[in-house]
Formats: sequence, structure tokens, C-alpha cells
Amino acid sequence: MMVQSVITQKRGDRCVSGIDALDSILNGGVPRGNAVLITGSCGTGKTTLSMEFLIHGALMGENGVFFSVTENSEKLLSNMMPYDFFDESLFTTEKLTIVDMQDIYKKLDLEKIEFSFEDIDKLIKALSEIVRKKNAKRMVIDSITSICFHLKTEEKIRTFILKLGASLRDTKCTSLLVSEILPSDARYSTYGVEEAIADGIILMGNLERRGDLLRTLQVVKMRGTSHSRAKYVLDITPLGILMVPLLKGGGG
Amino acid sequence: MTATDRLVAKLNELADGTALALRVSLASYLDSLRGILEGYAAKANVECIYVTATIPAASIMGALDVLEIKTEHVHFVDCVSHTMLGMVGTKKDDILLVESPTMLENVMLKVEYLTRKIGSQKKIVLFDSLNSLCIHNDVKIISEFLHILVNNMRAKNVTTILLTIEEHGTEDIKSMLNLVCDETLVLDTVTK
Repeated sequence: MMVQSVITQKRGDRCVSGIDALDSILNGGVPRGNAVLITGSCGTGKTTLSMEFLIHGALMGENGVFFSVTENSEKLLSNMMPYDFFDESLFTTEKLTIVDMQDIYKKLDLEKIEFSFEDIDKLIKALSEIVRKKNAKRMVIDSITSICFHLKTEEKIRTFILKLGASLRDTKCTSLLVSEILPSDARYSTYGVEEAIADGIILMGNLERRGDLLRTLQVVKMRGTSHSRAKYVLDITPLGILMVPLLKGGGG
Repeated sequence: MTATDRLVAKLNELADGTALALRVSLASYLDSLRGILEGYAAKANVECIYVTATIPAASIMGALDVLEIKTEHVHFVDCVSHTMLGMVGTKKDDILLVESPTMLENVMLKVEYLTRKIGSQKKIVLFDSLNSLCIHNDVKIISEFLHILVNNMRAKNVTTILLTIEEHGTEDIKSMLNLVCDETLVLDTVTK
């Protein structure tokens, strides 16, 4: 019975991002329940992509929660206003919720430099409870790097992501975990652990070509679906994120 | 039949989604623009996405204004003004700027954006001109760019007009156009 359920899920249950090109790259969307690392350096569009994923979801009837570590909700909302698809009522009707992580830290008495394993359990329980309470099918943590900063050891980071993933999978919640890396980083996450545990990795970058700076996106890994691994160039427009293939000019 | 009449007649008979190589002489350049924008697009209620890589969009709008050609149905993608820093301040609402004619992906993205923004209304994409794009880009990357763009527009039933100036044409440009275009129309003053 369980095997049959997994097969059914693999075949068709996709979380449509609403970003046409990304859904096309992923053959229909993110496999539901996946925890996907959205990784890249600053200014590459990680937060915009994540928020667009939530808004399109909410417009399709799937509630979403955005856990923000780095920006307050007012700033996030004002950044979303220019988009044609932005609908303020999604927030007033609580189809979309922005949660300030600092409030959670305060409530759980986690305003400290390093979290213990008990703290990790408390934090996961709190995040999961919010997801369940809001009946959220989509979740974003922006950024997982900021949370991992409090975990310090590989073991704790691994425990946090695995437990969080398991907890969300039970609710069939698809999550995007925003990861901040430096342009010079040779790996996909700051601590190296996040990328190994995540079900998917979407790498966003700035590509310099003959003095031009292009925003790029590449799906490096995505469990549960075949997908393109090519690099695409993206533009953030009032209609949302648009993408086209990166031209190679015969040079590769 | 004038060159402009020939061009309008050709555009009216084209099936949606066709890629047309339009080779014009310098002398018939403005007549060609009149034919496309006034003789065809305005009359047939067709929106025109005008990609300019030759002169800034504001200058083209000025020239069209002098010629009394209306531009309400024209949406510009301007690949030139950003390279002439002082021109950016003259930008108008209906002009989308691309930082450089070498950012061909961004040209595609602006065209894609306008295609979506215009919606279901009939539209065409006009490239002015391939000669200018060739100043800034290698022929291989332009071929790849046109191949993707034309096929993308074809899939959306949007006609693409790739304009080249005959006097500035090269064999490379002709071969490239033969490869990606369905039809070719040569217009010069002799045909008047």
C-alpha cells in the first residue's frame, strides 16, 4: 500500500510553481513534499522566486507560509507590490502568512548564539505547528543559512534539516530553503550539509560575459522528476520571473 | 505598385507565425517602416514589438512622428540607449531598455514579456536591424539567438520580421536569414 502511494506520488503529484519556465524545466513542477534548496549569491532573485512560488500557490488555493529571518514583513510586502499578480487580499485572508523568525526565537527563548539539540527540536516543532495551523502546502525559509549559523556543527545542521524535512513531508508541504553563498563558493551551501540533504537544488547566479551581468538559474538536482540541467537566463518582470536558455554561441 | 505596397501586400498574405527576412535598401528604409507600422499593423489592428539595435527608440519615435506615423500600437525594446548613457533620461513609458545589444538573452526576455503583456491580441515582432546586431555579436551567437527566438514566436503564432539593410549585408547574414526564415522579401528603390 505504501509503495503504491509512493509510485502514485512520483507519477503525478507536482507542486506547480506558477513560473512557467521553471515548471517546464521540472517537467510539471516540484514533486510535492520535496525540500528544495534555492541557493545563490546576493541579488540573484532567490527571495523573489520564493515569494512568487508562494503567491502563485495561494492563487491556486494552496496556503503558504514565509519564514523570514533576514527581512521584515513590511519590506517583503513592499517588494512584492510592483508585481501584477500580487494580491494583498492573500495576506488579509491568511492564505499567505509572513512569519518573522525573530518573533519565534523570542517566544521560544532562542535568542542565543548556539542552539542545542533540544532547541532544534523546539524550533522544528514550532515551525511545523505554524505550517499545520495555517494548513500550508507551501513553505519558504529565507534563509536556512541564517538558521544554520546558530547550529554550528554539521551534526546539528543535518539533524535540523532531516527532522524539518520529515515533519513537512507528513503534511505534504513543499518547501523552499533559501541558501546564501558567496559568488566564489564552489559548493551549493555555506555549510555543505544542506545540499546533501535537500531533495532538490536550484542554483541562481550572476554570470559575467564580456562585461555583461546576466541572472541565471540552473536546476542541479531534483529528486522525483527528470529535469533539464541546462543554465537559463532570467528576468524579474512585473509579470513575474521569465526565463530563456543561455546562449552558447557555438562555444559551449 | 510601390515598394511599400508590395511590403504591405506581403505582410497581409503571411500566415501567423511566419518568419520574414526583409532586405531593404537604405533609400527604402523609412518607407519600409511606414509599410509595416502604418500600412499593415495600424490598419489590421496588430500590436508591434519593435526591437531596435540601430538607433535609440526615442529617435525612431521622433522620426515616425515627423512622418505622421502613429506609434500607439508600437512597443519598443531599445538595445541602444543604455550604451549611450545620456539617452536613458529620454526614455518613455512604452520603451523597454536592454543594457547592451550583446545581451541577446535579455532581448528575448523583453520580447517574451511584451508578448505576454499584450496578451491574445494579434502581434508581430520587428527586428531593426540584423546588421547592427552583427556589429556587437558573433554570427554564431546571433544564429542561435534567432533560431530560438523565431521558433518561440512561431509557437505563439507571432510573425517575426527580420530587417536587414542591403548595402550593409554580408554573405553570413544572408545565410543566417535563409536558415531561420520562411520567406524573403527584397525591397529597393528600383522596384518602385
